[in-house]
Amino acid sequence: MVKSWRFYRFMIGLALYALLAPVLAACAPAAPAAPTEIVLGAALPLTGGQAREGGYFKKGYELAIKEINDAGGIMVKEYNKKIPVKLIIYDDKSDNTTSVQLYEKLVTEDKVHALLGGYGTPLISAHTVVPEKYQVPYVNGGGATGEIYARNMKYIFGLLASIEKLAHTLMDWMAEQQDAGKLKKPVTIAVVGENSSHGKEFRKGVLDKAAAAPDRFKVVMDEPFELNLKDADPLLQKLKAANADVFLADARIADYTTIHRRYTELGLSHLIVSYGPRGTEKAARDALGAAADYIVSCNWWHPDIPTPEAKAFAEKYQKAYNERPEWFPALAYETARVMAKAIENAGTLDKTKVRDALAKTDLKPSLVVGGRVWFEANGQINNDYVMMQNLPGGKVALIYPKSVATADAIVPIPKK
Amino acid sequence: MSIDLPALIVSAVLLAGLYATMSYGLALIYGVMKIVNLAHAGVMMWGAYAAFLLVARLGVNPFLAPLLIVPLFFGLGILLQRFVVRHVMSAPPISSLLLLFGTWLIMQNIAYLLFSGDTRTITTPYTLLTLKVAGFAISVNRLLVFVVGVVALVSLQRFLGHTYLGKAIRATAQDSAASQLVGINTDRIMEIAFGIGTALAALAGTLMALIFAFDPDFGRSHLLKSFCIVVLGGLESFVGVALGALVLALAEALSILAVMPALQDFISFAILVIVLIVMPGGLMGLIGKLKPKGVLR
Repeated sequence: MVKSWRFYRFMIGLALYALLAPVLAACAPAAPAAPTEIVLGAALPLTGGQAREGGYFKKGYELAIKEINDAGGIMVKEYNKKIPVKLIIYDDKSDNTTSVQLYEKLVTEDKVHALLGGYGTPLISAHTVVPEKYQVPYVNGGGATGEIYARNMKYIFGLLASIEKLAHTLMDWMAEQQDAGKLKKPVTIAVVGENSSHGKEFRKGVLDKAAAAPDRFKVVMDEPFELNLKDADPLLQKLKAANADVFLADARIADYTTIHRRYTELGLSHLIVSYGPRGTEKAARDALGAAADYIVSCNWWHPDIPTPEAKAFAEKYQKAYNERPEWFPALAYETARVMAKAIENAGTLDKTKVRDALAKTDLKPSLVVGGRVWFEANGQINNDYVMMQNLPGGKVALIYPKSVATADAIVPIPKK
Repeated sequence: MSIDLPALIVSAVLLAGLYATMSYGLALIYGVMKIVNLAHAGVMMWGAYAAFLLVARLGVNPFLAPLLIVPLFFGLGILLQRFVVRHVMSAPPISSLLLLFGTWLIMQNIAYLLFSGDTRTITTPYTLLTLKVAGFAISVNRLLVFVVGVVALVSLQRFLGHTYLGKAIRATAQDSAASQLVGINTDRIMEIAFGIGTALAALAGTLMALIFAFDPDFGRSHLLKSFCIVVLGGLESFVGVALGALVLALAEALSILAVMPALQDFISFAILVIVLIVMPGGLMGLIGKLKPKGVLR
């Protein structure tokens, strides 16, 4: 059989291709080599005063990263592959200076691609200067105070709505109680807050809302008080003299316990009592017993929020750690997920592009209240809070907003 | 807005009992050994946790808990003095300050390891109970704490004034060298004084834990308040300490008539500065000056 010239030409071409292909491939512009892992870092208060909360954050971060790695890692379009995540967590010992040093170490020695936040306003205020200085994208789920986000920083993002918004939520809920005829109108308010940026923002939130609706609210007492209160009597004597209908306070657990014990001993009563984000904590309820019943509180998350995402997280967490989650690990878990999503959306590990992707975050469904994570221009989320009311027998009801409420609020508080 | 002044004064007097109890130990140790015991805050904190363990875990009556806590901390105080503090007694004051500051930090970190940073409270059968006396709602817990504080003062005064050991402690406080010359074993006396001071600090911690929530950082702000009281009282007098505690508690309580409650600590430290400048001998020094002139008898 005589082969045609066309056949020989084809065979020669094939042989040349086989011979030259590796050489040509070697001369082509190289695609970027994918890193073997994406390094995320955080410094958490694992010992010292904030050890309990820091421990919860560690659990939340680790749970999220395990899930991401079990699914193969984060998809990075630039390398067209999923890259597993390595999480480095250091202990800042609840100390501001150590926290700053550890974030420096994460950036300069560990060469992290992005940073996850610590816990608590003082630590976060201190260490956020590091990611901003080195232009490393940073997300936290443990700092709510507006002062963290008021410094015009570009690389800092946070998943906790502001303390002012917490106060606004309380006031909006009271307005709803007025409209339902359960609370008189106008209602007189005594507001006190710990002498910190947290307390100041809470009081400002109450005052702003009261000024905007003088037909609904009249503030008759507005006082800061010292942290770690040793004697609540002077404050409570002022409260008694103010003769307000509603008592709103912003306090840490220790001060909440001290104040409310004396409040009860002095026989004070109001139509509504709130200590801001405090109220449902087991330690305080054990210390106060029935005196803590009917206190309303406002928080960032609760495992009873009736959404599939919140429920799924609560189950996963329970299974992993054999305990019911508080808001700390939930927000930590979502913080890590937000960072992973931003890297995926950026399609690269370029820090500026990941930062830009963070700024455009629109994560839904999410387990946060409202089911969506996005950031305002200052880097802070502006989602809803969930309000709770302590009920007798150590129970808690979600009372506001309606989308997550599990019961109607009991207003006014029954006289004891 | 009219403040219930009598109720405020009653509350301040009750608080003064607690303030005095937390300051006696500091005054005793300074009086005898001339060192400022910065570990006082750590001992108060450990006293609070000891009460927590006894009351919350073992079900001991909170007002009987001091019967176990006081001897235990007396022994710990003796050991601390013998094996730690004694070695810096003749060194410059900064050495004992740093040593005891370090001791406080160690105590604090041990507490973090053992109990974590969680806020703890002790709930007693009397928590939230009040007595109505002459129209005032008086907390049973606070009243009992006040009574224990007064009993501690009276016992201390009687011990120092009417026992050989007490007189030896006073003699050592006045002049250590002269005490040695008359045969007092001042090393032993210093150990005992440090033991009593430590036991008093632990007693104060136990009582405070019945009123306040606490964590391993507990005692820091109370230590500063104790300094004010001891300086106000005249550094080495227990009656002065009690008076100083009363003056400070009243000043803080009544200050709300003029300033906001957040400035209570400011009041304490303003008093400290003024006393150091105007009457460095404190209230007892002032009383001593007035007596010879017949102003005070």
